Amino acid sequence: MRALRIGILLGFRQIQRASKWTTLLIVFVMMLTFLNLIAVSGILVGLIEGAERAVRENALGDIIVTPLDDEDRILETMSFVQSIETYPEINTYSVRYSGNAILEANYKERRDLSGERDTAAVVVTGIDPTQEDTMSSLASILRDGEYLRADEEGYILIGAYYLKEYAELFGDVFDSIDVKTGDTVRLSYGDISKEFIVKGVIESKVDEVNFSTYIPEKEFRRIFGRLDRNADQIVMRTNLPSQNLAVANNIREGELGRYAKIQTFEESLPKFLIDIKNTFNVLGSFIGSIGLVVASITIFIIIFINAVSRRRHIGILKGIGIDRRVIEIAYVMQAAFYALAGSFLGALFTYGFLVPYFEENPIQFPFSDGILSAEPETTFWKFVTLFIVTLVAGFIPAWLIVRQNTLNSILGRK
Amino acid sequence: MNEIIQATNIHRKFGKGDLEVHILKGIDMHVHEGEFVAIMGKSGAGKSTLMYQLSVLDTPTEGSVVIDGTDVSMLEEKARTKFRLNTLGYVFQDYALVPDLSARENVMMPLLMQGKHWESSVEAADNALISVGLEGKHNNLPAELSGGEQQRVAIARALACEPKIIFADEPTANLDSISGGAVIDLLGDLNKQGQTIVMVTHEDEYTKYCNRIIYMEDGVIVGRENT
Repeated sequence: MRALRIGILLGFRQIQRASKWTTLLIVFVMMLTFLNLIAVSGILVGLIEGAERAVRENALGDIIVTPLDDEDRILETMSFVQSIETYPEINTYSVRYSGNAILEANYKERRDLSGERDTAAVVVTGIDPTQEDTMSSLASILRDGEYLRADEEGYILIGAYYLKEYAELFGDVFDSIDVKTGDTVRLSYGDISKEFIVKGVIESKVDEVNFSTYIPEKEFRRIFGRLDRNADQIVMRTNLPSQNLAVANNIREGELGRYAKIQTFEESLPKFLIDIKNTFNVLGSFIGSIGLVVASITIFIIIFINAVSRRRHIGILKGIGIDRRVIEIAYVMQAAFYALAGSFLGALFTYGFLVPYFEENPIQFPFSDGILSAEPETTFWKFVTLFIVTLVAGFIPAWLIVRQNTLNSILGRK
Repeated sequence: MNEIIQATNIHRKFGKGDLEVHILKGIDMHVHEGEFVAIMGKSGAGKSTLMYQLSVLDTPTEGSVVIDGTDVSMLEEKARTKFRLNTLGYVFQDYALVPDLSARENVMMPLLMQGKHWESSVEAADNALISVGLEGKHNNLPAELSGGEQQRVAIARALACEPKIIFADEPTANLDSISGGAVIDLLGDLNKQGQTIVMVTHEDEYTKYCNRIIYMEDGVIVGRENT
């Protein structure tokens, strides 16, 4: 304890008397190292988290209800909906019906019956437009046109991947049709066909949305003959994401668990996505660790040069009876100061500027709005890593110099 | 008076084989409590090497050094450090102050290391600085003091722990004659108060307060003079 106290005093005084610019430069290097540790993996993981967030916001919500494994639909959908309306934790929900159909574009202009039909096999989702918008903000991701209104019929929204114009950007690999907002298309399911006017085009970072067409649920049920009103999916948003598991468990444990499969968003994530996220994290940490090595070498060199240039003073301190641990602690304390100051400034910059900035201005990737993922817990452990590595990098050169023979140090002998 | 230092058959060699250099060649000497002993000789005579053996900064190749009843040549490194802290005081040729610490903090270092509380260390350090004539310069950094003042801080640091013996290695070598004289006067005053001092010097004029002078040449004592 005594050695610690004196060591801290010595170390503190050395920092205090050192050149301000040198200290600032070292702290700046440590800050960059910290940012490197956080930002590289943060952006890589943020890619996936951005995609996850888009799926959560525009498609799946917080709790997802799907048919039981041996059923095609959610049983007793209406009773189910009535029940979930009693949960105060559930902020909003949307009931979705889905089916496969053929969408045809050029059936009016095509004079020659043997000519090629402009068709695409599409997924049709029947929705309550108002409910769906409160749930997935579908109206906000319109690329063109207008959103569906609850009181009108004969309109369809088409996901961007079904449009030739958009699909061509992807090498025309999607099954697409050549239509634009305002055109008339024909939706066919078996023998039933119905004309729709394309009211808008939906474009999202979520493939599931881009690969869907939306019509009002009443029309869906008529075309697809779904008179039992049993839905294919119910998605819900809770007031707080932290409530998801508790709410899902409540629903599961009640009677509703017999009608459908209930999962939180996290539970519904495919394993490959979690694996990718973990891999990106490891990859980011690996890249970040190069910065860590550079920082530790920097600290090693700084402390080594400092200790070598003060070798004589170190010898004298030992000569007058100062324990070698005091001198080692003084240097470790300096390294700790650099690590703390750099990490503090790095954390301030990360949470004060970078995270909010990327929230407002996500990096536009084709499949995701990339954010900077900086979980406080992960950041804390990265700080701990940087701190320990820096302490070791500070201790080794101090130990190398302090262990030298006292008299040799005083006299400057090798 | 008691013998506080007993050095018997001290040899110090450096290097090995053909490169071996024999610096001290069987020195026998003793210092009594309260004495002011000067070790003199030409450059290369071995006087500083002898002082390093006596002051527990080096270990003789052969022979023994007993200080205040303890055979220091047998001590481990850690015990030697502790022994130096509690028993000996040092004044080096070039002051050897820690440049980042104020005069007061330099003096406080060994006191804190001895386990004294901060407040009592401050008080003892201030008293020591006053006793060497540095009142009002407690907070000055070494770089803000003259050579003579720095050497006085070094003496205050040596004094503060109330050591049994003060070793001074050419304490006036880097000082002008006036400052050098003042430092010697200070050491003389301390000796009059009962402090045992062993000093290495090659200047006759600075031996005026010494009780005994030991002359060295080529690693052996060639003369002793009581003054």
